[in-house]
Amino acid sequence: MTSPCSSAPPAPQKTALVVASGKDIDELLNTVLASDGWSIHRAEDNQHALALAATEPFDLIVTGRKMLGPDDVEILRRIRSARAHLRLIILTDRFTPGDVVAAMREGAFSYFSAPFDAAELAEMVRAAMAAPCWDDGIEVLSATPAWVRVTARCDIPTADRLVQFLRGVRDPSIPEGIISAFREVLLNAMEYGGHFDPSQHVEISFIRARRAVACRVKDPGQGFSLEELRHAAINNPADDLLSHVAVRETQGLRPGGFGLLLAKKLVDELIYSEQGNEVLLVKYIDPAISQVA
Amino acid sequence: MGLQISIRESDDVTILDLRGRATIDVGESELLDGRLQTLVANGARKLLLNLTDLTRVDSSGISVIVGTCFSLRRKGGDLRVLRPSGPVLEVFRVLHLLDAIPSFDDEARALASFRSRGYAASSSLRPL
Repeated sequence: MTSPCSSAPPAPQKTALVVASGKDIDELLNTVLASDGWSIHRAEDNQHALALAATEPFDLIVTGRKMLGPDDVEILRRIRSARAHLRLIILTDRFTPGDVVAAMREGAFSYFSAPFDAAELAEMVRAAMAAPCWDDGIEVLSATPAWVRVTARCDIPTADRLVQFLRGVRDPSIPEGIISAFREVLLNAMEYGGHFDPSQHVEISFIRARRAVACRVKDPGQGFSLEELRHAAINNPADDLLSHVAVRETQGLRPGGFGLLLAKKLVDELIYSEQGNEVLLVKYIDPAISQVA
Repeated sequence: MGLQISIRESDDVTILDLRGRATIDVGESELLDGRLQTLVANGARKLLLNLTDLTRVDSSGISVIVGTCFSLRRKGGDLRVLRPSGPVLEVFRVLHLLDAIPSFDDEARALASFRSRGYAASSSLRPL
């Protein structure tokens, strides 16, 4: 694990440095940052940002979209070598999947590749503004173009960051469906295996094969028997798709139970280990898409 | 907050216009659950969720919607949805929820469905 972030009390007013990315993005960032009273500084490009960051202790930097992905990562590396806990969100038009992994490894807070989802970007900026301790949340254990292993702290903001890195790859063979399935099993693992305890971690592997993408999630819990989950929709009989709702009510459980079923429906294979604390998602790739990717 | 909820009424139907996402992230599903529970506790029995501007839903959001529908039908009411699209429609589709929760593309037709003679019948034909 990386060293835990500082427990020093937050400064009275936080400062953000925003690199120009065009009118719409700039206005969006202004609105989000100003709504929480942040002081906003501007840079014309990432080199300008680097120069400003050398003298000003910014709390958050949002890079400009016109830089190449590797340049963003280099700036991230240089800035974080001087200010380890600074939050940096990368926006970029041009990138490779390797750039996304490198950004994650170097401690980017998040990564957005064009086209940008304005609402998602706004939410991630808010998450960065609110995160008092974040940069030991995701650790890249190993990474090749075909196999990436990471650990993630058991909390929802860390899950959201990891999911956004996966979206940032924009691999046409990784459709939104498998990302949503991954998010469901990840949150399941963090909640039921890790009890959303920030001292606990989930281990994740992403594997990109020629004809399939796979994702393995291992949680720190004791596991469970899938067949015994009567309060989960995944065990509903085929002619009664919602019978678990009544079971949950009888047991006094809050509304829920759709996560595993939704994940299963969005991928081709969902396989649990015998102990039940590891799950594998597999999505087979259409050969036509795999040739394009 | 990633979810905005506006509430309006048309006769005895309460319409909730949802904008953003109904996910677990920063408590959006919890927010939706709270609003729906309050409405039901205050006597609302016919709810129409306008999903036109809902961009994303996860299992937590779906659970809230289904749980409310379940609760309403036991009280003689119902919940219906208006214009789910994109990723939201995909989630409804893969979970076969459109077989259990009536969905409409037109608000006037959705409202009329609560007044039709088949209202009670359709609810009882498809118990949750």
